[in-house]
Amino acid sequence: MIEMEQTGERILVVDDEPDISWVLEHVLKEKGIVPKKALSGQEALELVKRDCFQMAIVDAKLPDMEGLELAKRIREVQPAVRLIMISGYYSKDEAYIQSALADGLIGGFIVKPFLNDEILKAVEVAISGEPPSQKIK
Amino acid sequence: MEGNVDLVPSRNSSEERHEKLYKILLEAIPSSVLLIDRYMCIVTANKNFLEKSLRSISNTIGQRVENVFPAVLLEHMDLINRIRQVFEKNYPVRGERITYRAPGVPTRIYYYSLLPFSWKARVENVLLLMEDITEYVRLSEEIRRMERHLASIVDSASDVILSTDTEGKVLTWNTAAENLSGYTFDEVKGRLFFELCSKAYQEEIKKVFSSLKGEKSSQMAEWDLLNKVDDSIPISWVCSSMKEDLSQARGIVAVGRDLTERHKFESQLRQSQKLAALGVMAGGIAHEIRNPLATCSSAAQFLMKDEPDPNFRKECAEKIQGGIRRISDIIENLLKFARSSPESGMVTVDLLSVLKETTALIANQLKIQKIEIKIVFPKTPIMIRGNTSLLQQVFMNLFMNALNAMPNGGVLTVSVKKFDIEVLVKVADTGHGIPEQQVSKLFDPFYTISSVKKGTGLGLSLCYSIVKQHLGSIEVNSVEGEGSTFAVRLPI
Repeated sequence: MIEMEQTGERILVVDDEPDISWVLEHVLKEKGIVPKKALSGQEALELVKRDCFQMAIVDAKLPDMEGLELAKRIREVQPAVRLIMISGYYSKDEAYIQSALADGLIGGFIVKPFLNDEILKAVEVAISGEPPSQKIK
Repeated sequence: MEGNVDLVPSRNSSEERHEKLYKILLEAIPSSVLLIDRYMCIVTANKNFLEKSLRSISNTIGQRVENVFPAVLLEHMDLINRIRQVFEKNYPVRGERITYRAPGVPTRIYYYSLLPFSWKARVENVLLLMEDITEYVRLSEEIRRMERHLASIVDSASDVILSTDTEGKVLTWNTAAENLSGYTFDEVKGRLFFELCSKAYQEEIKKVFSSLKGEKSSQMAEWDLLNKVDDSIPISWVCSSMKEDLSQARGIVAVGRDLTERHKFESQLRQSQKLAALGVMAGGIAHEIRNPLATCSSAAQFLMKDEPDPNFRKECAEKIQGGIRRISDIIENLLKFARSSPESGMVTVDLLSVLKETTALIANQLKIQKIEIKIVFPKTPIMIRGNTSLLQQVFMNLFMNALNAMPNGGVLTVSVKKFDIEVLVKVADTGHGIPEQQVSKLFDPFYTISSVKKGTGLGLSLCYSIVKQHLGSIEVNSVEGEGSTFAVRLPI
């Protein structure tokens, strides 16, 4: 567990598309962040149980569970994790996403394809801002 | 010996023998026989005549012909003159027909002949032979009436009705066939039926006709007929063998219905079904396209930042190229599905590649619905006669139904098994299943399972019609709460 005690921001990237993980990895690299990567909800939960994360970037459609379901379960383990959802399936104005944003379950929602700066900005906001509200259903 | 009078009074035993034989013969003949002498008197009348004319021996034998036959008849037949002529010319009169009505009995029709009996060049008697053909005439009229009736049924039918010999040469061709094809019966008489159909079907028709010569009694098929100006007319046929006493086939009857209008309707229906399926797939497709788009977009942004590392630059370019290829594959598949299908394009196709393309189309949707797909295919291609686009639509419909039946995930199994003369494709889901009382209605148009309420209710009836067009069959097995299995059989 020693290697997990890295300094700086600890970020988890969850997407079943290896290419998206590759993109996020290189985007975050600009900030000197080396994220942990998970390809499924289960894999992500295992990592969350082991390590402490400041934030997670989660795809809305994972092969084994919905992104929002994963978000809830991550919160159950680590209530302070900031969550950003990315998706090529949902759009931001959908009620499903809007209510998750309103509830504070996710702190941001970014549609694929995105500008790399959008990701960086969201990461900055999430990390420097208020910790997530506890209005979890 | 009633009804007879001895001809000759002499009595040697040979004559007696002859006389006995003569009498027996006379009585046994199922016709009326009269022997008339030169004085126009009746010498002999057999039992048959006496019964038919309700006369007795006493008022017949020895009587003149004009006292025995009614005046009307005598006049009409000109009987006296005719008998006289036979006496004079020693020449028989044959094949005349008379209608005879004795008082108090129904009209009877006779066929009569007058035969001279000459002895030593002199006509001694004339034999009047009357055969009762009343029943025969009635039956043949009845047959003619039935024939006219049948002919009028065949000719009034709006379906094409034709018959051929066992080789397939046209024997009959009704008015509907003349109207639809533009060929008169005389123009097609004796021509081979398959030659009047589109080339694409000729081999198949020969095969079906030869199977009808054997055990098979009927076969349904869709073959295009070529009209006089060489246009193809789609027709649904039912071909049956004409068998005589369960033995060998004597010929083949083909009844055909023009499918032009139905095809137009079905093609519109198929198009709208496709759009409906595309609607369902849209979400999956969006997701599937946006992932590589996002990769391309971000990789391009990396390159715009004057990235110094040549290896990373190369990696970015490769990601962009890979992403674009993936997107264009998705679009290619989608277009193949969305494009309207040629109507009569039956060619040799590999069933497995049709199935693979179709499963590729639903891959995204499966992922979104968290459905696992199991594919059990033989290793070698399975070539069948079919239309790729239509077959793809059948499987897409079955897949969509399976997907709809599994809103909370499950397993979709697609298996293919090859047999001697057919291939069996099974599409099985682990969804909510179909209640038993609804199974029989599944292939009816506009029938949709109320609990799903997603479809138009036309998908499976379309599948049925397409599979039938491929000379195949489709059936369903379902257990409520456990899932459904659709089995499609197609001839190889």
